Amino acid sequence: MGAAPAHMASLGLFAGYDTGDFYDEMFSSRGEPRPAYTKLFQKLATMARSHFEERRKLADLSFLIQGITFTVYSDGRGTERLFPFDLIPRIIPNSEWQRIDRGLSQRVVALNLFLHDVYGKQQIFRDQRIPRSLVYSCPHFHREVVGVEVPKGIHTHICGIDLVRDSKSGEFCVLEDNVRTPSGVSYVLENRLVMTRTFPDAFQANEVLPVNNYPAELSRILRSLSPRGENEAQIVVLTPGTYNSAYFEHSFLAQQMGVELVEGRDLIVDGGVVYMKTIRGLTRVDVIYRRIDDEFLDSLTFRADSILGVPGLMGAYRAGNVALANAVGNGVADDKAIYAYVPEFIRYYLGEEPVLRSVETFICSKPQDLKYVLDHLDNLVVKAVGESGGYGMLIGPASDRQRIEEFRCRIKANPRNYIAQPVVPLSRVPSYDASEGSIAGRHVDLRPYCLYDGEKVTIVPGGLTRVALQRDSLIVNSSQGGGSKDTWVLRGES
Amino acid sequence: MNRYRLVHTTEFLYDGPVSESYNEVRLRPMHDERQSCLSFRLITAPMSRGTAYRDAYGNWVHQFNVLAEHQRLKVEAESVVLAHEAMDSSADSTPLSDYDCSCHQIAEEFYDFMAPTGYVPHLAALEQIAEDAEAQSDGTVAGFAEAASNVIHESFRYVKGATHVHSSIEDSLSIGAGVCQDFAHVMLGVVRMRGLAGRYVSGYLVPGAAAAPDAKQEDVIGGQASHAWVEVLMPNNSWMPFDPTLGKPVGLRHIRIAYGRDYGDVAPVRGVYKGHAGQRLSVDVRVRPALDDTGTEQLAKSAAPPAPATMIAERPQQPQQQQ
Repeated sequence: MGAAPAHMASLGLFAGYDTGDFYDEMFSSRGEPRPAYTKLFQKLATMARSHFEERRKLADLSFLIQGITFTVYSDGRGTERLFPFDLIPRIIPNSEWQRIDRGLSQRVVALNLFLHDVYGKQQIFRDQRIPRSLVYSCPHFHREVVGVEVPKGIHTHICGIDLVRDSKSGEFCVLEDNVRTPSGVSYVLENRLVMTRTFPDAFQANEVLPVNNYPAELSRILRSLSPRGENEAQIVVLTPGTYNSAYFEHSFLAQQMGVELVEGRDLIVDGGVVYMKTIRGLTRVDVIYRRIDDEFLDSLTFRADSILGVPGLMGAYRAGNVALANAVGNGVADDKAIYAYVPEFIRYYLGEEPVLRSVETFICSKPQDLKYVLDHLDNLVVKAVGESGGYGMLIGPASDRQRIEEFRCRIKANPRNYIAQPVVPLSRVPSYDASEGSIAGRHVDLRPYCLYDGEKVTIVPGGLTRVALQRDSLIVNSSQGGGSKDTWVLRGES
Repeated sequence: MNRYRLVHTTEFLYDGPVSESYNEVRLRPMHDERQSCLSFRLITAPMSRGTAYRDAYGNWVHQFNVLAEHQRLKVEAESVVLAHEAMDSSADSTPLSDYDCSCHQIAEEFYDFMAPTGYVPHLAALEQIAEDAEAQSDGTVAGFAEAASNVIHESFRYVKGATHVHSSIEDSLSIGAGVCQDFAHVMLGVVRMRGLAGRYVSGYLVPGAAAAPDAKQEDVIGGQASHAWVEVLMPNNSWMPFDPTLGKPVGLRHIRIAYGRDYGDVAPVRGVYKGHAGQRLSVDVRVRPALDDTGTEQLAKSAAPPAPATMIAERPQQPQQQQ
């Protein structure tokens, strides 16, 4: 067992707190609050339970009133629900954040160069740094955009890269890249807003770096992509509609940027140009921040049965008459088997060593890896390469025999579709357990949001901390019942 | 003279009004060292504005849309093509067994033309054909591919209507029949499973009568409009064509339009539109020797605008099978 400092027993909400065998973000292995957390700890430790409960209810009410919701697809319990919010913030020391910022910037630039290469000159295959077969067999590698020039050479405008702190090393490492349509940034902004309302005094004691410039930065980048120049940029956010799990975010970002939120049926292509249908007639559209997956964007080019997209859109994109963010075909870069090669991309394209570590990954399409995986299913996490959001996953140690055997069959039937990784013991952050009425350690990950304008990467300080609210659970995805926390990066040394 | 004027007309007739029709066509003949595309024009009725681009395999694609309501969509592609001398088919004598060791490298470089596809899954039944072909061949790569083409030509019956445009080779293998699209797909499966790279060729087969030097009348070849065959990569890095449907060497009567992994990459006409109407598709290809390089002697009679070379639902436009 880890440290359970004696002096905590008397400390109100922290009574009985146990850091367990995990890296605890707030307490050192000796049970002392880490420097960045000192003031927050003092605040919480002296707070009465009733007072904490009051603020918690206030926060929940605030989310409810603002309608900040999301959807879980699999459970059939209606479309929208509140995203559980844990009031205790997660703090990242400034020096550690600097390193994360460097590591993510490097990674985003390398992923962008990789995409530019595989859809362009394909030099990386000639230099034999990654097998062409691995890239070409990726279901999200779209031959339809091979040779298409994207504005300013940017493919990865918006990335959400999932980091976890490995309890063994205490270091942050990259768990997966999301370079298609990552969601969640609206919660970063809303969580901060709610926190400043319900916990204003905590912000007075700590100098927290702001996050609210995200919509302005996103808007600036989208504007810069306009084929008719920035001054005439008509930007829209394209959503699949109200039934999408992230619809709240789509409308939130459109509103924050002051641009139109549209569905596919609001747009029409004529002669290779995209127009928006308005009550005053057709208005030309220059930039689309699309939150629709590639396969549904254009029924002429991709799935003919899709009614979400805009027929002919790819023609307009190819002709350079409209910019899409993110670019089409990005799924090849966040394929979970390609992930294993990202450190190599950083060396190959940038001539640098990766700042952030990756998790050891077994690629089931390689025979020797496949054998290892099938022999160690009990101890591994298995993921479908093209899935995200925690769908299509096996956590060996937490699964029964039947589920493991089911995955064994699936992997054998289609090895290219799976990778496996060792279970990473995620760090924990003190979180409020409402049923116990006390604070306990819960596992977290971190998804920072990176914006790339072709020259530099801008990252909102912190990002979205997702927390597995169930005791002992390692699954932090909101679609799988996780919650979130406000995430602080403090100014200056700490 | 192997200079042809081709007019490929595709017409969709709808039972009721449809609108917002978006289409993309692969109808422009290739222009390379083996064949020259001297002129090409695309005319649609109703009129439309279009865009053109080259896809990942280098094929020319033209896109156009018709927004207003219509009950009929006609797409006419007119081209003048010069077929050059046929390739020397005896160029390579590398034994199949020598080639096997470089197989992995080929599989990397030509992944798309070796991997299974929706139309061409790798099935055990193909291995039998490959074995038969190998037994009949002279042991070279070229000889094997030619034998495979012959075995398929001998053992499959050409039957129109036996399969449909979305049939994978499973269908034609089970009934032992199909049209040129199926013959080509089966051949691709056989060579790919044997470790060779193979690509699908969409094009035209000019009928013998139209190729004759004294042909004067336009030759209607309607149903046999578009044709399909395959090309197999030889150890000397050249692509050698084979026509398992015809069972004869590919020559100056084969006009190439597009390359792909299978039919899905090269469908001549594909589209979507809005509307609930049923549809009928008719395709007609006329071909005759061209008197000059542009085929202009015919243009005077045409109502089409003389200028740019290319003018170039949600329901899918009915696709046309390559027969």
